[in-house]
Amino acid sequence: MISSDELSGHTFEELSDYLDRGRTPADPSIDSSPECQTALSGMQRLRRTHRALLRRDVQRESEREESWVSSILQHINLEARAGRDIPISHPSPTARLSVTEGAVRGILRAAGDNVPGIIVGRCRLDGDVANLGAPITVRVDATVMEGENIPALADQLREALYSALHQHTELSVAAVDITIRDLYQSAAPRRRK
Amino acid sequence: MTTLLQREPAPHPLESASDLTLADRAADGDVRAFEILVRRYGPLMRVYASRVLGSNDEMDDVVQESFITAWQQLPTLDNGAAVKSWLMRIVSRKSVDRVRARRQHVDIDLTDAPAPAQHSPHRLAEAGSQTEALTRALADLPEDQRRCWTLRELAECSYGDIAEELELPVSTVRGLLARARKTLLHEMEEWR
Repeated sequence: MISSDELSGHTFEELSDYLDRGRTPADPSIDSSPECQTALSGMQRLRRTHRALLRRDVQRESEREESWVSSILQHINLEARAGRDIPISHPSPTARLSVTEGAVRGILRAAGDNVPGIIVGRCRLDGDVANLGAPITVRVDATVMEGENIPALADQLREALYSALHQHTELSVAAVDITIRDLYQSAAPRRRK
Repeated sequence: MTTLLQREPAPHPLESASDLTLADRAADGDVRAFEILVRRYGPLMRVYASRVLGSNDEMDDVVQESFITAWQQLPTLDNGAAVKSWLMRIVSRKSVDRVRARRQHVDIDLTDAPAPAQHSPHRLAEAGSQTEALTRALADLPEDQRRCWTLRELAECSYGDIAEELELPVSTVRGLLARARKTLLHEMEEWR
């Protein structure tokens, strides 16, 4: 039915490729051939039908009961993100206390999440955290809600991070570097159950 | 200590955060961000796995294994913004591993081969429209064509990505995709 001699000298493969390239650069010998156009519109119909099928299937999977989500979350290994041990001093000479780097990152995220209009991304502790008193630079990526005042929010975030670190750790923080990587739009109304 | 990670409050609209933010946070150990990624892309990954496996029986296992691997390997992902196609490639690999393991089993136990996909209850229940015709046609595609097609149309991989994933030359990928389309189109024409 669709063979190359009926496609004005083009192969089906060429047309399939052409479609995937978004029909650019335009090829007049394809665009002006009725046979090619028939084949291309068939492929497009196939793609449309497939998208409809996919939407339906994904929708069905989204509506499933949630046991698969909790099962996944139960099986991931949280220790994998512990990172370095950060010492905390203690009056007793025999006691050794420490908090993990992963936990400190969690503290930073939690502090950042309490500042409206900004979402903290990656958090890094640069420096010799195992050595009490060594200067540490905290590097944090963040995204800011569209329309917010970026410098003011960054200051607010920096203050929140400083105070959380001060409260929970004895790190000697030399600097808090905040990089605003992107803007985000305010949240759509929640659709969660 | 890890309980600190679990007890994080989430007063923020993290649900609408970008893939990059979520992937970065998950790489840092934020379970909540990871959960949002699971909800965001898990359903598509489940559809993907069921297409490659030809049934739903092993889908839960394959998707769970995929996310466990993803959690382990997230810190090595260079660009968090590409987390979707990264996840799709993981589930693609895990699904194919399953199919291969199944085939080895069949080779050993020739008398009791599993029912081919086209006879599964899932497919027998399908009837009627263009989309159902496509579902049947997809299940009947030869495996290499179906893998190319699913990587292209579900995972939205580039030809180069598909070639790398399947360890095939790009020219072969192009040929397989064209053949898959031709076959599917032909089946759909028949049905009309």
